[in-house]
Amino acid sequence: MSTAGREAPAWLLRPEPGLCSCGCVGRRRRGSFLDKTLRGTTVALARVLFDDDEAERDLPLQRVDPAVKIVAAALLLLAAALVHHVVVLVALSLALLGLAAGCGVPAGRLARRVWFTVPAFTAVVVVPATFSFVTPGEVVLPLGTWFGHPVGLTRQGLTAALLLVARVGACLTVALSLTMTTRWDRLLGGARRLGVPRAIVMVASMAFRYLCTLLETVTDLFTARKARTVNPSDATEGRRFVAASAGTVFGASHHLATEVHEAMIARGYTGEPRTLARARVRRVDALWFLGALAAATLALGVDRVVLG
Amino acid sequence: MHIPDGYLSPQTCGALGVAMVPVWATAASRVRRVVTRRFVPGLAVAAAFSFLVMMFNIPVPGGTTAHAVGAVLIAVLLGPWAAVIAVSIALAIQALFFGDGGVLSFGANAFNMAFVMPFVGYGVYRVVAGSTPVDARRRALAAGLGGYVGLNVAALAAAVEFGVQPTWFHTADGTPLYAPFHLAQTVPAMAIAHLLVAGLAEFAVTAGVVAYLQRANPALLTINHHAVAPAAGMAGVEGPVWWVRWRWAVIGLGVMVLATPIGLLAPGGAFGEDAPGDLDLGRYGLRAVPEGLSRYNGFWSHTLLGDYGFGEGQNATVGYLVSAVVGIAVIGVVVAAAVGLVRLLRRRTEPSAVPDEAMVG
Repeated sequence: MSTAGREAPAWLLRPEPGLCSCGCVGRRRRGSFLDKTLRGTTVALARVLFDDDEAERDLPLQRVDPAVKIVAAALLLLAAALVHHVVVLVALSLALLGLAAGCGVPAGRLARRVWFTVPAFTAVVVVPATFSFVTPGEVVLPLGTWFGHPVGLTRQGLTAALLLVARVGACLTVALSLTMTTRWDRLLGGARRLGVPRAIVMVASMAFRYLCTLLETVTDLFTARKARTVNPSDATEGRRFVAASAGTVFGASHHLATEVHEAMIARGYTGEPRTLARARVRRVDALWFLGALAAATLALGVDRVVLG
Repeated sequence: MHIPDGYLSPQTCGALGVAMVPVWATAASRVRRVVTRRFVPGLAVAAAFSFLVMMFNIPVPGGTTAHAVGAVLIAVLLGPWAAVIAVSIALAIQALFFGDGGVLSFGANAFNMAFVMPFVGYGVYRVVAGSTPVDARRRALAAGLGGYVGLNVAALAAAVEFGVQPTWFHTADGTPLYAPFHLAQTVPAMAIAHLLVAGLAEFAVTAGVVAYLQRANPALLTINHHAVAPAAGMAGVEGPVWWVRWRWAVIGLGVMVLATPIGLLAPGGAFGEDAPGDLDLGRYGLRAVPEGLSRYNGFWSHTLLGDYGFGEGQNATVGYLVSAVVGIAVIGVVVAAAVGLVRLLRRRTEPSAVPDEAMVG
């Protein structure tokens, strides 16, 4: 699916020009939060659409049946959630990254998307948990005393923090490996075969498609406003504009839903969606499922039996 | 508030996911019954709308930004059951493609943001909005308040889910296996962030959108308000009986009552609420209980349910539940009496609406 014409204009996405920081040439304006919102949304959605195109490539991982991939991912997620040792979680993440690279998935991009997002945020949030006043235990790095009690970093706190970051990273690696190698419509087809109600699958499928359409409406709103604005608006006015934009988008959504419904009725829709996809489990699917089952069992076995 | 994978134990994720199954089933059934085949595109765009609302970052005092969830807004515009489906699908897209919220923890996120939030918020909205016309200013305020309360209750639910992890899931030496913060830390942290920052964003977006639609497109507000007068001065369809109108508030209060014993899980006691005998004097550098504290402690000892329980401290959970019900009943009686008194006084002071001629004639 081409994204041309759906992205924000390049001039709108370009950052504010960097003038001299001392102010001798001019003052650098802080980017508007509206611009940032638009830029962030467009970039994120463009990335997802790019992934969707990537998932269409004829590579080993992409060829696996989506229903099998969902079950395999669930097994690996469960294993990652039940493991108690950091080293096993790191090994699981590295094995998945290696497998993805071996199957032609850009492992560098996958690693960046995994580790520069939620785990990085988790690492910051979890810092207080390493202190004895949050996680009591054996103080390994004393920082002083509090009413006579030693305070500092505890072994239990540090282990818990590392475990959480490694677990979040491993789970995200599994989830993104699934979505980076499976198109959204195939993923939903797999979910349908696993028992998710037909109506929910159809709503989800259409919602993903309408994201682009609604984002285009939002982009047009922002662009039109920017084209008509001489001075940068303050935050209060910005908030008003956001509320008005959301209201307008809802109106456009409702209008779109009515039109789409009429179009569906005209094409003979009777409430029962039909697809061309046929379920057929092949050898590669069985291998992928058995591989995931073996990996999950191995991870739990090493965690509980070898490492105790 | 999007809980990533790894923060909650698989048991917690499983329990909340299972709890959501009947909610999703009921939502799908009710929405399908109400709007028939048309619900497919309608809900699809509502889900896309919810996704976009979550991407509108709004600046808040302090130099940071917050985003709304939009669950209460969709509940106000399309009904709470539609909000369950729309927000669930938006959360699924976010979890799978943007890494925002986990896949295993999808049930927990849906429980907080697609179930608790729209129902609590919608209950508050219905109570505050009353039977005012669709274009009444009070209705926009009610929507904003619903968004604010709904988001904060959802945040409280998330805080409880985080906070019970280190108590329930840890190794033999006390190392937490999942989120390491206790209830004593998660509840205040989430409360401060959501009461002061994210809640305000939710209020601004929810109230702002409803106010905008009141001015620009009031027809959209009538989708979920068939029994309400379309505009001030116009007679609406006669509303349902009081217990039907207030059912969401009653359900919301019921859920909160059932949740009250959760506090019993928290280790230690509430700060500043220890009995003098329980004080750790050495910790505060004291040799004896301060004289004033001894003198005035127990000044009022005629309590019905001391410490939210029974006299001997037996059946603490039942005691909490009974205390919650009694507390709500007492507050309800006091509020009803106050409202009745105000109405009585207003009726006496207001001039008669019937013209004198009619009275004479």
